[in-house]
Amino acid sequence: MSQLEEISQKLLSFAKEQAVVDADVLAIRNTSDAFNVRHGNIETVEREDAQGIGLRAFVQQKGGLAFASASSSDFSDNGLRALAKQVVDMAQVSAPDSDAMPPAGAPHPEALTQHPLSADIWQREQAITAAIQCEEAALNASNSIQNSDGASAAYGLSHQCYASADGFVGSHSQSYASLSVSVIAQQGQDMQRDYDYSRAVTGKQLDNAANIGRLAAQRTSRRLGAKSTKSGTMTVMFEPRVAVSLLGHLSAAVNARSIMQKTSFLNDAINQDLFPKWVTIHDLPDHPLAWNFNPFDGEGCATQEATLIDQGTLCFYPSNRYVAKRMGIPHTAHAQRGLTGDIGIGLNNLLWQPGQQSQQELISDISHGVLITELMGSGVNGVTGDYSRGAAGFMIENGVITHPLHEMTIAGNLTDMFKNIRAVGSDLRWFGSRGVASVVIDGMTVAGQS
Amino acid sequence: MNLPIAEESLNSMLERMLPANVDDADIYIERTESEGISLEEGMVKHVSASTDQGIGARVIMGEASGHACSDSFEDDALMQVADAARTISTHQTQAPVAPIKIDAAKHQLYQSSSPVIGVSLLARRQLLEEIDSLARSLDPRITQVFASINNGFKEVHILRLDGALLHDKRPMVSFSISVIVEQGDKKETGSAGGGGRFSLTELFQSGEAQRLTREAVRLALLNLDAIDSPAGSMPIVLGSGWPGVLLHEAIGHGLEGDFNRKGSSAFSDKMGQRIASKGVNVVDDGTISKRRGSLNMDDEGTPTQCTPLIEDGILVGYMQDKLNARLMGGQSTGNGRRESYASPVLPRMTNTFMLAGQDDPQDIISSLERGIYAVNFSGGQVDITSGKFVFTTSEAYLVEKGKIIAPLKNATLIGNGPDVLQRVSMIGNDLKLDPGVGTCGKEGQSVPVGVGLPTLRVDEMIVGGTQA
Repeated sequence: MSQLEEISQKLLSFAKEQAVVDADVLAIRNTSDAFNVRHGNIETVEREDAQGIGLRAFVQQKGGLAFASASSSDFSDNGLRALAKQVVDMAQVSAPDSDAMPPAGAPHPEALTQHPLSADIWQREQAITAAIQCEEAALNASNSIQNSDGASAAYGLSHQCYASADGFVGSHSQSYASLSVSVIAQQGQDMQRDYDYSRAVTGKQLDNAANIGRLAAQRTSRRLGAKSTKSGTMTVMFEPRVAVSLLGHLSAAVNARSIMQKTSFLNDAINQDLFPKWVTIHDLPDHPLAWNFNPFDGEGCATQEATLIDQGTLCFYPSNRYVAKRMGIPHTAHAQRGLTGDIGIGLNNLLWQPGQQSQQELISDISHGVLITELMGSGVNGVTGDYSRGAAGFMIENGVITHPLHEMTIAGNLTDMFKNIRAVGSDLRWFGSRGVASVVIDGMTVAGQS
Repeated sequence: MNLPIAEESLNSMLERMLPANVDDADIYIERTESEGISLEEGMVKHVSASTDQGIGARVIMGEASGHACSDSFEDDALMQVADAARTISTHQTQAPVAPIKIDAAKHQLYQSSSPVIGVSLLARRQLLEEIDSLARSLDPRITQVFASINNGFKEVHILRLDGALLHDKRPMVSFSISVIVEQGDKKETGSAGGGGRFSLTELFQSGEAQRLTREAVRLALLNLDAIDSPAGSMPIVLGSGWPGVLLHEAIGHGLEGDFNRKGSSAFSDKMGQRIASKGVNVVDDGTISKRRGSLNMDDEGTPTQCTPLIEDGILVGYMQDKLNARLMGGQSTGNGRRESYASPVLPRMTNTFMLAGQDDPQDIISSLERGIYAVNFSGGQVDITSGKFVFTTSEAYLVEKGKIIAPLKNATLIGNGPDVLQRVSMIGNDLKLDPGVGTCGKEGQSVPVGVGLPTLRVDEMIVGGTQA
């Protein structure tokens, strides 16, 4: 039994000494190393070693079960005892809920799969060397690159354990590595910054350091000379790096908790055609290129692969046990749990099925539009779907990129934007837990200086 | 002040950390207790709490710094942290360690006791239930009420290279509410919040929770009637208070020392130059009693101060932590902040605001031939290198011929930091600070901040509506 499993069991046993009806525990331990390099010199070295344990406990009140949760980084016996007592005291203050869903009776997985935790964790010297090479390649790639915001290399290991009073104990570990660089191009008064990065499960899977550097330089220098645009209705192409945010808005809108609370613009959308017929989006609890590995969800229930959007149609609202019971909808094992707080809902890794056309082919099909490479601000209203964000990118005229753009906004409504998707590219890229290619949307309002 | 680690352990840790060529170093010890209680569907379904403690060590040489942290205070862990922070240096010889001496804080801007004393969890639950009934009684179209009370108490101990040991106890409370209204098949939301470095008792007695509840309901109902926002370039009048987030995004981040030392800010090398219209005065002030962005001392033990950033339109100051101040040949302005013991120190804002001008706010609104009067915002972001910034309205009106015509749907405004304040043509006499809701993100770290603004006319900004 691992140290986290032992500590979790101990905390559960202290909780059982109190007047709890049911309880569960999440324990985590993360170690990470990060290095920042600027102009070839190490600027910061960071080492973190963090642990935490969170207890959720249910007590019987008149009218039903009530619960509370608390967390601590103190793993001593005294610390754990104090935590158990604190949670039980707090649960007396929560209101009883006749629909409360304690962990007992959860459909726990029979066998636990373990991610093959790579022995190939990056080492300090490898990471520093990669950061130096990456920055050097960026600085040497073009004369317009005048300054560096630095390159960063990081790697780490995270372990977590979930245990519940009904006897389930599950734990899993995962490693990660990342490499990024950000550089500045200058031409007179015009100064632009851009970046590129790679994230993976192991250092070996990362893109080549010099390639990341060259791409970052290319992305930065092509922004020089940007202008604002004329306002009007046009076709908007999101490159993968920004298209990934569309998956974020979709995830938030289909969350069954938002549906239950009536705070989503996608109410009553099951089996509705939200997207064109050829759009398919999968939810994968395990994928070799994705950061999330969830053999079980935040309530210890077995996860499974699922199709969220099938031929344009929404197949399910991701749910946890409480929300599924309240709404009378299928339980999909998408509970998400932090050390404290109510049990939330979250998808695992989303993969938007790529199309056939390359980025270049997509651009050549656009007569009047913009290619968006950066989005700013948080102007998305999840209740109405209204969408308005700051943007930067490139003008497309008659199938050709003409010049860089900045100081503009793009606006619309997500319901219309999803329906008006014209094409999805073949340029699939993974960003942590989401994989997406370029997305082209017709009929958005672009606003600029005139 | 009870230190969770014996002084002699700290001393031997510092001894182990310091190479002879060290420029600066410190040890940061933190313990934070926080609680949250929230209501939805008319019920307080959940209360939560967390206790976080840990230690962070930092060794600085030239432009380089080594950080390490642990949440254990055991001697073994402390020595590992010291060794990891020291890896920034390859120098073998130790620096001498100064004896520890307790140093007193320069000011006491807030209470040094926990904000929860005297207000039980049950009392908090009752207040939330009362808020729920109040909100629902205000209008029958209200279908959902979400409200929460959060409080935190952070105790910080900083041991500096010179042996000074400083302490700060930082209370924080906040209340937030959002409501959903439905009318036919239209659905809208409104939200409000407030708080600061004071006690829950003060929050309860001020009637602020009730006022904010009425405000959230008013905003939600207003949004039901909102029309699509125009798109394009037009004059904007910003309301007083929270719209100060414009300053935070448009110029505040660009005036943080690190970006200017690295030459990556759109304001690099603009010191002494005009970056705003005449009459524009902007400060960053960490010394306002009980404000959310205030601190007795920053996270390097430097007392906070009121730092002028723009005087009559001229750039006069940057916000500095110790490292960037030293490398740029200046003094720390008390802006060295970190989210927690686990995060590195960065130059950050405290309370950033523009001083009042002479104009009557009503005259400023009336001056709009066709434009937008933006009263409230939901948040913003900036690219400090290009200077482009955005923020999104949560309450705004279309104004024609000086008259308010209709409320507008949320729209993003975009501008250029070095230009926007040069387009200021009227400054109201009504400076107001925000209600205490601001959280600023930088390099993944969140810290509480304040903003403020008098009513302000900006002659041109781009509005991201859908009506082209």
